[in-house]
Amino acid sequence: MEAVINPILLYTLLGVGGLGVLLALPREKVNPQAIGALIAAAGFGGIFLALGLKAGSNHPGLFFYLFALIALGSGLRVITHPKPVYSALYFIMTVLSSSALFLMLGAEFMAFALIIIYAGAILITYLFVIMLATQAPSEEDLETLSEYDAYSREPAMATAVGFAVLALLTGMMAKGAAELAPSGGLRQSEALLTELPGKAIDALDRHGVFDGGALVRPDKTQAAELIDPVHRVIMLEVKDAEALRRLFERSPLAASLLGSEERVAALKAGSVNAGDRIEVKLPADVVVSSVDGVGWDLIAKHPMGLELAGVILLMAMLGAVVLARKQIEMGEAEKLDRVRSRGGEASGVAGARSAGSGGMAGAMAGSAGGGGGAA
Amino acid sequence: MPSTFSNPIALLALAAEPAALNESASSVAGPAWFALIPLLPLAACVLCGLTVAMRVRTKAPAWITVGLLALSFVVTVAGFMGWNGGSGTPQVAKVYDWIHVAWAGADSAVHTFVADFAFYMDGLSWLWMLFVTGLATLIALYASEYMEHDVGKGYGRFFAAFALFVFAMACLVMADNLVLLYLGWEGVGLCSYLLIGYFYKKPSAVAAAKKAFIVNRIGDLGLAVGIFLTYVTFGTVEYAELFALVEKGVDGDGQALAGMWQAWAIPLLFMVGAFGKSAQLPLYVWLPDAMEGPTPVSALIHAATMVTAGVYLVARMYPLFVLEGVPHYALWAVGWTGALTALLAATIGMAQFDIKRIMAYSTVSQLGYMFAGLGVLTSVGAAFHVFTHAFFKALLFLACGAVMHGFAGQLDLRKLSGLRTMPGWRIVSITMLIGCLNLAGFPLITSGYFSKDMILAEAFVTPGAAGIGWILLVTAGLTAYYTFRVYFRVFEGPQHYEPGDELHGHDDHADDAHHHAHEHEPADHGHAHADHGGAQEHGHGSKPAHEWHPHPPKWAINGVLAVLAVLSFAAIGTYFMDKAHHGWVGGMVHRSSAEFASPFAHHDPAHGTEADGEHGHATAEAHVAAAGRFLGMDPHKAMYYVSAIVGLIGIAAAWWLHLAGRTSAATSRADALLPLLGPVPRWAQNKWYVDEFYDFIIRTPLWVLANVCHMIDRLLVDGLVNGVGLLPQLLARGLRPSQNGRLHGYAAGMAGGLAVVLLIVFLVVFSA
Amino acid sequence: MNTLSSLQLCTEAPLSPGAVTLYHYLFLSASMFAIGIIGFLSRRNLIIMFLCTEMMFQAAGIALVAFSRYHMNHTGEVFVIFVLTIAAAEAALALALVVLLFRRRETLDAEAWTELNG
Repeated sequence: MEAVINPILLYTLLGVGGLGVLLALPREKVNPQAIGALIAAAGFGGIFLALGLKAGSNHPGLFFYLFALIALGSGLRVITHPKPVYSALYFIMTVLSSSALFLMLGAEFMAFALIIIYAGAILITYLFVIMLATQAPSEEDLETLSEYDAYSREPAMATAVGFAVLALLTGMMAKGAAELAPSGGLRQSEALLTELPGKAIDALDRHGVFDGGALVRPDKTQAAELIDPVHRVIMLEVKDAEALRRLFERSPLAASLLGSEERVAALKAGSVNAGDRIEVKLPADVVVSSVDGVGWDLIAKHPMGLELAGVILLMAMLGAVVLARKQIEMGEAEKLDRVRSRGGEASGVAGARSAGSGGMAGAMAGSAGGGGGAA
Repeated sequence: MPSTFSNPIALLALAAEPAALNESASSVAGPAWFALIPLLPLAACVLCGLTVAMRVRTKAPAWITVGLLALSFVVTVAGFMGWNGGSGTPQVAKVYDWIHVAWAGADSAVHTFVADFAFYMDGLSWLWMLFVTGLATLIALYASEYMEHDVGKGYGRFFAAFALFVFAMACLVMADNLVLLYLGWEGVGLCSYLLIGYFYKKPSAVAAAKKAFIVNRIGDLGLAVGIFLTYVTFGTVEYAELFALVEKGVDGDGQALAGMWQAWAIPLLFMVGAFGKSAQLPLYVWLPDAMEGPTPVSALIHAATMVTAGVYLVARMYPLFVLEGVPHYALWAVGWTGALTALLAATIGMAQFDIKRIMAYSTVSQLGYMFAGLGVLTSVGAAFHVFTHAFFKALLFLACGAVMHGFAGQLDLRKLSGLRTMPGWRIVSITMLIGCLNLAGFPLITSGYFSKDMILAEAFVTPGAAGIGWILLVTAGLTAYYTFRVYFRVFEGPQHYEPGDELHGHDDHADDAHHHAHEHEPADHGHAHADHGGAQEHGHGSKPAHEWHPHPPKWAINGVLAVLAVLSFAAIGTYFMDKAHHGWVGGMVHRSSAEFASPFAHHDPAHGTEADGEHGHATAEAHVAAAGRFLGMDPHKAMYYVSAIVGLIGIAAAWWLHLAGRTSAATSRADALLPLLGPVPRWAQNKWYVDEFYDFIIRTPLWVLANVCHMIDRLLVDGLVNGVGLLPQLLARGLRPSQNGRLHGYAAGMAGGLAVVLLIVFLVVFSA
Repeated sequence: MNTLSSLQLCTEAPLSPGAVTLYHYLFLSASMFAIGIIGFLSRRNLIIMFLCTEMMFQAAGIALVAFSRYHMNHTGEVFVIFVLTIAAAEAALALALVVLLFRRRETLDAEAWTELNG
């Protein structure tokens, strides 16, 4: 029986970690946050150690542990720091470390997309709102924390529930990991090459394979069938054997792709005729990058999702606009109507009233409190 | 044990012939009018109760009581004359059938339990009844004047309890069986409680009454178990049958008593009961506190009658104590405890300042003498000492009471002095002197001398009791010392008096008290001048000076004191009657169950003894040879001189320390000695901390136990009950987060629900 | 069903070499998710509570990308793109709501809103 990790060890260390997190949560009087952090580090570190030992030579590498530590540590700090601005900043650090982990997993596009979108947009928005909604410190005490920031609410219950979920999740995952089908098989990223013939042809062009008309340059639909992603070759038709020989002699770059000494001998011997198919190796720079892969999956395999994502974003935008309008009281709306009906040319009145929204529409929509229903 | 009542008619028939059981060779039937002796005081009690109910405001209860008690005394004398003139055998007078139970036992033998309301009158009973009824009459007369402040308030209650006491005491003394004795025993305990707690508004009096009753109860337990054991062993609780069996040396089934453990266990149990009632170690602590009661109560109950009930019990059951062939544990216990108590109480008495309390300790001490006498095999000596002690101790208490009555409750001998020279106090002083001389055992002219001497001599005669004798001798010296300390401080020396706390007899007039400190010329007629040079006792501002002067006793008090003094002297005469039996008292004892001729008794040819007739002549001579000697001399002769010398030494010491050269009431030459003795006088003054010791070993553990139980009740029982009530609260508290509108509760619910779902998935779906 | 065996995190078959490495990432993801839950339940500041939901999104993202790597395709990454989209939309709307709530009560305390009780 092979277990990913001994369950008793797992749950015990999770318990230790839970205790640490519980101690680290901010509370009123005694605040053993540092000790709590250490205990939590010990708990989680122990689990990672066990996993690493189990992995043996397959362990994910030093950088994984480093970034995992940073991620968990700053995640812990997000929930335990009393000041909200600091929480947001630590979350940014969490995002950064998880993008590093994405990099290690070979998902470069996602890594940077994460940074751009998450850290760069969403969290900045959060910071704006935090600073907007925090009450300004008065002159006497510049450092007061609001009461709801300083203390955590029912830390014991929260920690217990959280770690119960964690224990169950990790347990299930370990079980599932044991039943997981082995990875490997056709590298799908390579398999994508057949879908991207333009890349291959462009690369061959750059290497000068099609110079002198030696080989037939297929178009994209034809080339899709001609590429063999497993061996990384493309089958090209010879148009002119003589030109092919000349290509061999003139361009060593192309020659490297076109074949070995045998091919050369065959060419010289004249055994290669027009219409023959030869294998041409694909250059090394013909790779399907992560961007390619993601883009292809997104558009070719999940087009509907893409459209729906767009719709969702549009709706979110509309909803945000509706929600964030300036509030207009009922009485104010009626005043607006009366003003409008009396003398409509004084557009300054109308303009001055509802900043950033249609006056009539805003007046008729009433107070914006329930506008969140649009979202 | 009753198993079947298969033949109830036979049983009833058996139960219906009680009269035959009382007739035996050792007793004859007595006339039923003996019953008047206890019943007249009972009638007095009922009538006094009626006066209370009818709110009588005169001294009628007193006259009723005095009259009926006097009548009872007359009946006693008549009965005694009749008995004395007869054969002198014990008479049993049955009044009515009280307890008659018969059942068939397991071995189909018939068991009976008979306890009649009957009286067993032999020498011991007559002796006791004579002085009980006589003293009761005199003291009731004294109390009629003493308690006059309470006429209309508690007067009737006092005399009702007083008369009830005499009834109970009579039942005790005259009882024909142990159950009736127990009735009287409990009755006197009850009346003692009622009378000590007479001033029920005073917390100290109430506490003293409770203490007396509870400590008595401990002794009563011993007595009760003794009675049970007696019945189980002998099959009867009636004296006549009991003494018959004991004389033969067999128990109820005919087995020999020698070698049975019950034979020495029963006397020990009776001894425990006697110690409770007669205030011996360790159950003496109630008697000094009992002085909270009015003085007539102290005189009657705690000097002459109730406390002698223990002595009576031991004397009555003496055959059991002196059984041959049985180890005499009880006898030695009685003897040594008596001696030690005597010494202990004397030392405490030496250091007290309250004269009534000194007299109380002196009572304890003298009771120790009596028990010691019983222990050294002289029941005659013990009985004679009881007799003389009753008179002079009652006299002493009544004199103290007169002082207290006249000086508004003042009893501190540091605040009274020179009473003899004050007008109106002469009779009190003289009678007090007579009483003190008796108590100290002044040679030849006091009855106390002879009675004490008898016990002391016998202590040295009986082998092995010399230690008791020496202790008693030392105690005699101490007794003389502290007695005359009281006399020389209070009645001699410069005149000085201060009123006590009971000014005008009521505490609500206390704000009129003034503090008088005078030095009067002897010719002064005792009228205090309003001298405000001294400090005012109660700072109540300038009220008009209300003159207070001492209140000399009137005819009732003086008369009774005089009569008692005369009787104390007359008691000497009884010593010289009936010399064959060591005096008239000895003759009475001789014709009772307490008769025991000590084989070690010295044969004085002038006296003669009947011991020769009971033992073989050779054994008697051997016993006489084994009898102890006092410093090489014959104890009887030597003791005449030695006890006299010891007494005189005590009196001289008291004179030197407390009278010679004394110029004030508060100090004397004794105070100069105190620093030399270190902490010992203080310990003695604090009664050797015995009460504190009892508090520690008995009350404190009980208090701890009570608190533990209280804690258990509060935490466990109440906790359980409250816990049940707490369950709905907890349930609600658990369910509340789902309904209180708070985001976190809902979020926690969701997260918890997620966890539950995961768990189900984990367990169910992922089962291998 | 054998509950006890279902609690054991193991099977008969040997582990594939990549599974343990995958488990590293999965464990990290689950931990972050749990931390997010704890933060959500224990903090009272509304904005921080939403931040913790963002952290839960993060955790899901890590898990998805790890699986994507394990299975050598890009499906997981695509899913993460959608997750990001939804996260952005939700963040925007949530913050708008928080701002509105703040305007009403001048406090960011989640305990200030209990109108839904009963």
